[in-house]
Amino acid sequence: MGIITITLAIPVLGALLLGLHDGDDRTSKIIALVASLATFVASIVLLVQFQVSDANLQLAERLTWIPAIGAEFSLAVDGVSLVLILLTTFLTPLILVASWHSITDRLRGYLAAFLLLETAVIGVFAATDLLLFYFFFEFSLVPMYLIIGIWGGAGRKYAAVKFFLYTLLGGLLMLIAILYLYGQTGTFAYSDVLALSLSATEQRWLFLAFLVAFAVKVPVFPLHTWLPDAHTEAPTGGSVFLAGVLLKMGTFGLLRYALPFFPDATTEFAPWLLGISVVGILYGAIVALMQGDIKRLIAYSSVSHMGFVVLGTFALTTTATSASVVQMVNHGLSTGALFLLIGFLYERRHTRQIAAFGGLAKQVPVMAGLWLTVSLSSLALPGLNGFVGEFPILLGTFQINRTAGVLATFGAVLAALYLLWPYQRMFHGPLDTADNANTSDLKPREIGVLVPLVVLIVAIGLYPKPLYDIVEPSVDRVLTEVAEGVDAAGDVLGTAEEDGS
Amino acid sequence: MSTSLLSAVTPLLAQMAPVSVEWSAVAPELLPTAMALVLLLVAIARGRELIVAVPAALIAAAVGIWLISMAVVVPGAVVIAVGFALPASAVAFPRRQSLIRAFSAAAALVGALVLTGWQYATVLAPTAGGMTSQEALQGALANDGIAFFTRVTVYLSALLILPIGYGYLQERRINRAEVEPLLLLTVVGMAALGTANDLITMFVALEVLSIALYVLSGLARRDRRSQEASLKYFVLGAVSSAILLYGMALVYVATGSLDLAGIGSSIGLVTTPRVVAALGLALVTVGIGFKISLAPFHFWTPDVYQGAPTNITAFMAAATKAAGFAAVLRLYMVAFPALESLWVPILAGLAAITMLYGAIVALVQGDLKRILAYSAITHAGYAIIGVTANSDAGLTSTLWYLLTYAIGTIGAFGCVIALERRRRGEVTLKELRGLGRTSPLLAGILALSLLSLAGIPATAGFIGKLLVFQAGIAAGLTWLVIIGVLSSVIAAFFYLRIAATMFLEEPDPERGLPVVSTGLSLGVSVAATLIIYLGVYPQPFLQIVETAAALVR
Repeated sequence: MGIITITLAIPVLGALLLGLHDGDDRTSKIIALVASLATFVASIVLLVQFQVSDANLQLAERLTWIPAIGAEFSLAVDGVSLVLILLTTFLTPLILVASWHSITDRLRGYLAAFLLLETAVIGVFAATDLLLFYFFFEFSLVPMYLIIGIWGGAGRKYAAVKFFLYTLLGGLLMLIAILYLYGQTGTFAYSDVLALSLSATEQRWLFLAFLVAFAVKVPVFPLHTWLPDAHTEAPTGGSVFLAGVLLKMGTFGLLRYALPFFPDATTEFAPWLLGISVVGILYGAIVALMQGDIKRLIAYSSVSHMGFVVLGTFALTTTATSASVVQMVNHGLSTGALFLLIGFLYERRHTRQIAAFGGLAKQVPVMAGLWLTVSLSSLALPGLNGFVGEFPILLGTFQINRTAGVLATFGAVLAALYLLWPYQRMFHGPLDTADNANTSDLKPREIGVLVPLVVLIVAIGLYPKPLYDIVEPSVDRVLTEVAEGVDAAGDVLGTAEEDGS
Repeated sequence: MSTSLLSAVTPLLAQMAPVSVEWSAVAPELLPTAMALVLLLVAIARGRELIVAVPAALIAAAVGIWLISMAVVVPGAVVIAVGFALPASAVAFPRRQSLIRAFSAAAALVGALVLTGWQYATVLAPTAGGMTSQEALQGALANDGIAFFTRVTVYLSALLILPIGYGYLQERRINRAEVEPLLLLTVVGMAALGTANDLITMFVALEVLSIALYVLSGLARRDRRSQEASLKYFVLGAVSSAILLYGMALVYVATGSLDLAGIGSSIGLVTTPRVVAALGLALVTVGIGFKISLAPFHFWTPDVYQGAPTNITAFMAAATKAAGFAAVLRLYMVAFPALESLWVPILAGLAAITMLYGAIVALVQGDLKRILAYSAITHAGYAIIGVTANSDAGLTSTLWYLLTYAIGTIGAFGCVIALERRRRGEVTLKELRGLGRTSPLLAGILALSLLSLAGIPATAGFIGKLLVFQAGIAAGLTWLVIIGVLSSVIAAFFYLRIAATMFLEEPDPERGLPVVSTGLSLGVSVAATLIIYLGVYPQPFLQIVETAAALVR
């Protein structure tokens, strides 16, 4: 059993243990926290064993699973999946600590759901068998549905069902495409499917099927409507996990599966996707500006930010696409931190209306300082992590499509507006109401949750090289596969470039 | 004593019959048949069970000694032991008759399952190479992959339903003496339908199972809905049987043959009147479509499923479907492959209508049994995708689908039974409110069964849907699979609605707790375990399924 399987297994074993033991809530919390920390340690071991210079999928593990239908329990990581696994294992213990006191109802179920979710997400990032990938991809719906549905806000039922059905529909369309590919190869192995040469028509339809599944998850405009509801209604931990990790399953899937499997279709649709991303960036930003609920605002900002990630992915240059992977991590850190802060504020005040707050900076200086730092990171201030991701994406986009680049930059400008304006309204101005004057500052536990995030935000902002070193070779590999696939197929590249310029 | 009656006449029959009878081909059915007869006789004897029990025990002893003398030691000993245990228990526990009946029936079913396994090991797959097939009774029976899987599904369903329904029947005071024997007869009819290889056997098997089911669904004599269900099922069932028989007659007229392989070889000939054969095929499709509740021949299903005692509903939903589909698979893949261009589009159209209709109508239902009835209709549509594929993959995926569906359905209905016992009546969605808080384990199992029916990964239903969709795509029926996907999403909505009511809503303090008896909890726990096991590690079973396409053609 290799290190990836261990990383994958620890959370689910923790969940089983939670199910079996009959102890009090405190023991449950400790079991869950220990399991998630052990997972984090295992993922660090994974990082140590990882060969940074090697662009291929490595540390591969293969176990027989269902040989009768050619499905294997095979796992491997490349740079992209590694950083996303690290992000997952890093965020999970923080989430558990953050909701240490806020969840009291059916706590064991809550903790077990998070651990199951963690396993599912790690499985999605590490699977190199399409059926196994799909297995984890769809399974992740169940714990997330429960987290939103049971522990969420007032409109949780609607939000949970909407989340489930949207993603299920996308996923099932992808299943059809996977089964079609399986019909061609007879196995579900990633490498076998990669070696297939498909006709342009086949590629087009299969690409669209994969695209829908992943675009719902990202979410790409106009398939994003489940996200604001899910984010707003989910409990704090759920929102953090959703924004931090689950959305990345979509962009990860695009990069790992949709692009290299269907190179012709990728180059054919890339200009369209650039356009849709730009629309999403601007749409998300403008709608975010109009929100009165701060959590909903951040939810729409996710639509905008993830638009940048998709934009970078489909720019199809090493700079932009690597930056989009880095931006996945950045978005996970800064939006995750913002959701945590909103959660902490909500626990104190039980409202999320921006208008209800004012002048808080005097009362809660620590929270205000952290909020500002994280907001600045989210709006890509140079020196913080957002900048090192967003800037190369814009640069890469400029190189291939100037209009898209210019419009996307407007999105970055709007980000400053929709992040700083609410900050100003909430934390500055007169401390007018009694509620505001009685708001208490962050407790040490809450600061402890946020500090690791802020440290990473600053560290990546100042010195992003290690992150890029891990990501770039793998991104290069994927882009080479796309380019080679297109060359092999002939003249499609030429027309795509014309469209793009 | 169970085996005694038929086993005793075995040598006699062997002498009388002009040809040798391959007893191994029908071995699993002998046990439940014998047990059904004994239990029926006991039921007729009323207070004087010993009049039946003592001769039966003596016969059992004789058969056992004979078997031991033939060097079949272990089964012989079992026969003697069972033969004496039954009358002894009847004397020792005169007040526990229904428990003894249930245990006897369960023993017969376990024996049938064991014999099915033995049959697989010795007859069907004597070598590791794969499954062979066996013809018996001059081609009237085919012992092959379809037969094997039908047996497994049907016997397993009945075995799970017995403990689940035991307390329920007792509480509704409908645990009458004919329940278990009729259940066993139904099971035998279903297993026979799985092996039937000519039209006559097929029809007789279908009638055996149907007639027993008409009675079983009217078991609750004081419940008007149960009576309505029984009558409706009977009338519509009789009409559909007539249509089916008419169709079979037309097929016989066209081909001059009754056994399926013979029909299959002559139906493509120029001399065969194609129109008559096609008409026969159409009528057969209508008749059989009724039995497996394919839209638009499904109208009886919701009413009957709702009205019948819930354990009978569960059994009907799970096992009748498996048996009906066994006949469907054989008819279309063995008898009518030559008319493929005719029936594939028709079945595909019916599948599409069934999947969408069932899922959409289920959305507006409030009664849990009705929701599950419409879900059963939807699932018939999914299973038909495999038939429509008309390939080995289609055949095996359908068999697998029916098994996973049966387990999920029994798990779901089992939990409904626990709720119904609390309420003593219909179970609406309201009854489920907050069940996740009051009885988390029961709610968990119900949710798991529903997830399996919805086809979410890590449950058996997912692997079932996967294989069926795969067969459909491989056969070029992508449009049908896309409709299947759409219907799955719609269906997921109403399954989720049930789960949401249990977990996301607060319990109503006035309502009592569900009644979970030992038998019920045993049955649904086994179902839940199977759901997870077959969903996470289906390999051991899939390996068998993959080779199940070797048919008697």
